Amino acid sequence: MRWLLSLFLLGVAACVSALSVSGSRLLVVLEDEGEREKYGVFLGDLSDRGFHTTIQSPKSDKLSLFQHGERAYDHVIILPGKSKGLGPALTANQLLDFMKKEGNVLVTLSSDHATPTAVQSLLLELDISIPSDKGALVVDHFNYDSASAAEKHDVLLLPFPKALRPDVKNYFAGEGVIAVPRAVGQTLGNESPLIEPILRAPNTAYSYNPKDEADIVEDPFATGEQLTIVSAMQAHNSARLTVVGAAEILQNGWFAEKATLSGKAVKTANREFAKKVSQWTFKETGVLKVGKLLHYLDEGVSKKLNTSLSIPEHNPTIYRIKQDVAFQVEISEYSGDHLAPFIPASSDSVQLEFSMLSPFHRLNLTPISQTANSTIFGVSFKTPDQHGIFNFRINYRRPFLTNIDEKRQVTVRHFAHDEWPRSWQISGAWVWIGGIWVTIVGWVAFVAVWLYSAPTERSVKKTQ
Amino acid sequence: MAATEGNTLLKQATGPNIRGLLRVIILVLIAGAAVSSRLFSVIRFESIIHEFDPWFNFRATKYLVQNGFYSFWDWFDDRTWHPLGRVTGGTLYPGLMVTSGVIYHVLRFLTFPVDIRNICVLLAPGFSGLTALATYLLTNEMVTSPSAGLLAAAFMGITPGYISRSVAGSYDNEAIAIFLLVFTFFLWIKAVKNGSMFWGALTALFYGYMVSAWGGYVFITNLLPLHAFVLICMGRYSPRLYVSYTSWYALGTLASMQIPFVGFLPIRSSEHMSSLGVFGLIQLVAFVDYVRAQLPSKQFQTLLRALVLFIFVVAFGGLVLLTVSGVIAPWTGRFYSLWDTGYAKIHIPIIASVSEHQPTAWPAFFFDLSMMIWLFPAGVYMCFRKLTDEQVFIVIYSVLASYFAGVMVRLMLTLTPIVCVASAMAFSQILDTYLDAKTPVPDSKESGTSDTAKVAAAVVVPEGLRSTRSPLVGIYSWASKLTVVGASIVYLMLFVLHCTWVTSNAYSSPSVVLASRLPDGSQHIIDDYREAYYWLRQNTPDNAKIMSWWDYGYQIGGMADRPTLVDNNTWNNTHIATVGKAMSSREEVSYPIMRQHEVDYVLVVFGGLLGYSGDDINKFLWMVRIAEGIWPEEVKERNFFTPRGEYRVDEEATPTMKNSLMYKMSYYNYDKLFPAGQAQDRVRGARLPAQGPELSTIEEAFTSENWIIRIYKVKDLDNFGRDHQSALTFDKGHKKKKPAKRRGARVLRVE
Repeated sequence: MRWLLSLFLLGVAACVSALSVSGSRLLVVLEDEGEREKYGVFLGDLSDRGFHTTIQSPKSDKLSLFQHGERAYDHVIILPGKSKGLGPALTANQLLDFMKKEGNVLVTLSSDHATPTAVQSLLLELDISIPSDKGALVVDHFNYDSASAAEKHDVLLLPFPKALRPDVKNYFAGEGVIAVPRAVGQTLGNESPLIEPILRAPNTAYSYNPKDEADIVEDPFATGEQLTIVSAMQAHNSARLTVVGAAEILQNGWFAEKATLSGKAVKTANREFAKKVSQWTFKETGVLKVGKLLHYLDEGVSKKLNTSLSIPEHNPTIYRIKQDVAFQVEISEYSGDHLAPFIPASSDSVQLEFSMLSPFHRLNLTPISQTANSTIFGVSFKTPDQHGIFNFRINYRRPFLTNIDEKRQVTVRHFAHDEWPRSWQISGAWVWIGGIWVTIVGWVAFVAVWLYSAPTERSVKKTQ
Repeated sequence: MAATEGNTLLKQATGPNIRGLLRVIILVLIAGAAVSSRLFSVIRFESIIHEFDPWFNFRATKYLVQNGFYSFWDWFDDRTWHPLGRVTGGTLYPGLMVTSGVIYHVLRFLTFPVDIRNICVLLAPGFSGLTALATYLLTNEMVTSPSAGLLAAAFMGITPGYISRSVAGSYDNEAIAIFLLVFTFFLWIKAVKNGSMFWGALTALFYGYMVSAWGGYVFITNLLPLHAFVLICMGRYSPRLYVSYTSWYALGTLASMQIPFVGFLPIRSSEHMSSLGVFGLIQLVAFVDYVRAQLPSKQFQTLLRALVLFIFVVAFGGLVLLTVSGVIAPWTGRFYSLWDTGYAKIHIPIIASVSEHQPTAWPAFFFDLSMMIWLFPAGVYMCFRKLTDEQVFIVIYSVLASYFAGVMVRLMLTLTPIVCVASAMAFSQILDTYLDAKTPVPDSKESGTSDTAKVAAAVVVPEGLRSTRSPLVGIYSWASKLTVVGASIVYLMLFVLHCTWVTSNAYSSPSVVLASRLPDGSQHIIDDYREAYYWLRQNTPDNAKIMSWWDYGYQIGGMADRPTLVDNNTWNNTHIATVGKAMSSREEVSYPIMRQHEVDYVLVVFGGLLGYSGDDINKFLWMVRIAEGIWPEEVKERNFFTPRGEYRVDEEATPTMKNSLMYKMSYYNYDKLFPAGQAQDRVRGARLPAQGPELSTIEEAFTSENWIIRIYKVKDLDNFGRDHQSALTFDKGHKKKKPAKRRGARVLRVE
């Protein structure tokens, strides 16, 4: 019976599991139930990917992000509504607490609606700024859709984003153009390393408030690539927050529309982009996992690193100075529904630090072999000539990838009294060893001579 | 006649055998008294290790017993001085631990299952019995009267000056070192008297044991050469001296170099140069002596004397030169502070911050030595009268030890044995005089008394005075005898009373547990230290790093079994200064330091609620001074004083003081205990500001019952990359204000 039960439970677990690594409970905050249909395709796609969607109005009494002190949902989507407040269950503090417990949040803005104060202060706290006045939107006189916004130029048609930097993987690549209607542009602070732009406005775009035309000339909110349409934030615990500047990107109306970009007819690929963004936000992509981590004494028989994981995980807690140590770590990347070998971007590598107060070694880990679902990185080095308490540390933080911060504390001890070379092995000591033996032999010889010559000396004394 | 017959019978009966037996019984009783008077703390509290250093010794002993001698020898301790670690096996005096380890294994071999803790607790009382015996032997070498030895043993057994470091639970190096010190001196005297290589070698052996047990061995290293040097200068050179000194020096130096912590110090450091110098000198003197025996000539002698003086000067000059050029290690700071009591305070605050390194206050002499302090000069004077080789030793020892005891409180310990010996000599002289000539024969009073009286009088009074030429009857009268003997007995009684009182009241507190009296007279135990340490032990991960001031390092290591940043083995001044800086700086400065050192918890001692004056705020200035020694630009002592030069914690405390981590941790939430605005610090008698300090980078984890120990947890980095202060204000509901109109050039984001 028991096996039947466990089989049943296993089956249930398999059904329940979504494509996200952090869970499938999704809360959609939508004020007006009538607007649900507008997002029907997007929400349907999410359900198809295994999310269990709950749609709640922010005014609902039942709405709470937490139950018994734990997260009640794994992910939250906040869609724009008419009212300025989000209610007592969705304050900025609670959203931050939700993220502290590794919940993911997708926030959408819209220039038609005022941004809720909770969202405003949340974004401000995370160093993401949005225009303070309602109605501000991004316009571009070069990359607009001449079919739907021939006059206002406020529907932008943008290509899919390129990789942020050469050493960062691109999780948002795709074919086609993204229609960005009436977006609220954001600017990102320079201080925080946790926020990154996903989709930036083109060079020719600027933020503009149709109601207050005078101000924009004097002091525009932001222009060009400083404006971000979709931005991302990943906390230290890898909880993710994405800000989509235009909720309309996610609406059915723009998912596969015909549009005209500088005279050419194009088809929008918003559905694809919405999928990429939600996949990343809900931890379906860009998730790393550290598997087996081991370090061992490299006995010197083979200087080559062992390329398999067949060695038992031993991980001694103590080494000696100037010993050869090998280190290996298994890293996988979550890909859809399984773990795949992780391959860093071409100009990037995972690094190992061997540190006490400051790193004594900082070494690039090289992929030495691959298993079905992981890459084994390894490096071999000599412990420094300094005893103390050291850490093997991998601190791998890259945009759009979950953070890896692994630390293993080991002690590096001094030479024990019997680990030094013996005196006769040191050529410099031969002089002193020779001296000792000469003294001993000389003394013995002297005693022998003394004993031998003793009687004659006495007779000499007598004669005196 | 019958009386005299009976007397002689009695004298025969108390012949050597019975006297020997009596002596053994008396010595055993003295040892019993010495041991039992040290058990106050065990009876009143429990069998517990005291204070600070003993906790390390105890931990090291446990390590030794568990892991064996060789791994103890090579012990790298990764649970102290995080993250530097400490090469403990090579930086300690292993004698104490090895002694207890041997006792433990012997008892186990004899099938006595004894807990190692009990051995450690009772080691010091046990060795005090042996010290009494060694004092008896040493004193016996000095005088002919056997009673002096017994008195000295009794004095040594119960004098507070020695008990202060050897009560049960005070498991410190001194526990065995004083026995070794006295016994080594006894063997040395024996060697000098007999001129025997055997006794000299024994001296070296025990000297080696002493080196392995206590850093105070340097006292022997300098005292024995000084003795030899003085004897040579007095023209008392003899082959006996030569044999005993050279055999001691050669073997003893080799023995001392076997201890890793000492290593090559005996030939490299200045403290050891005197013994080396005298060793060289005695070779010269021996050579000269030999030549003189071959060629007797007055002029030759004076020439040689000049030569000896010249060589001495040259050697001394060479020594100075080598020291200056750095071949020989210069004197250590602790040594300089022996000559200039103000030296440490200016140059090495870490030494001055230890209370037992302070100069002695004069009442301490009376407190620790009682009546012996005035008998002591009399005994030294008596040594001057005969001035045999061994009595010269007494004189030198007492002069040196008196000086050192005046400079440093803890060196009272080295003075105590010689005080016991000298005052026992004086006291036994009095008793011998007034008790021995007790029964002069009535009919032969003229002759009998005059004989004994002359002898007795000659001993106490110089011959020349007219009043002493004719025997004085007054001394032999019952009245005078009774007065003197009675007074002496009263003094002895008072001495015993004083010793018992001091031991019971001053030296038997474990200082881990504090005792106080309730209004109804019953005892109330304040057990905050152990409460907090056990909290750490049971509620924190095994390798949670604890930052505290170094005083508590050993206790945290021993009782809480958690790694510490600094401890009482103050080998790394910079590391201690780092902790001092973290404690005395603003939170924003301290936090990166604590992160870098992987600190998980911070522990402070706060006595404000209870009026416990040994708390961290009172020690705070030392932290500041030590930190200032390394970072004079960042930590300034002056900023902790008000403009009028006061050290305050109340409303008028300086901003630096109020913002320092130590102040904040001490007074955090303290005002909540009192009605608004009434918070009172009972140690410093100050009313605290109405608004208590606020913490952002650390959070309170534990506060003990009487608030003596407070433990804080260091927060992790903020999850969203904010600094802790703004995260805290956000959590409190203060939303970040949108920056008003930007001024100046726009800051653009670059990838």
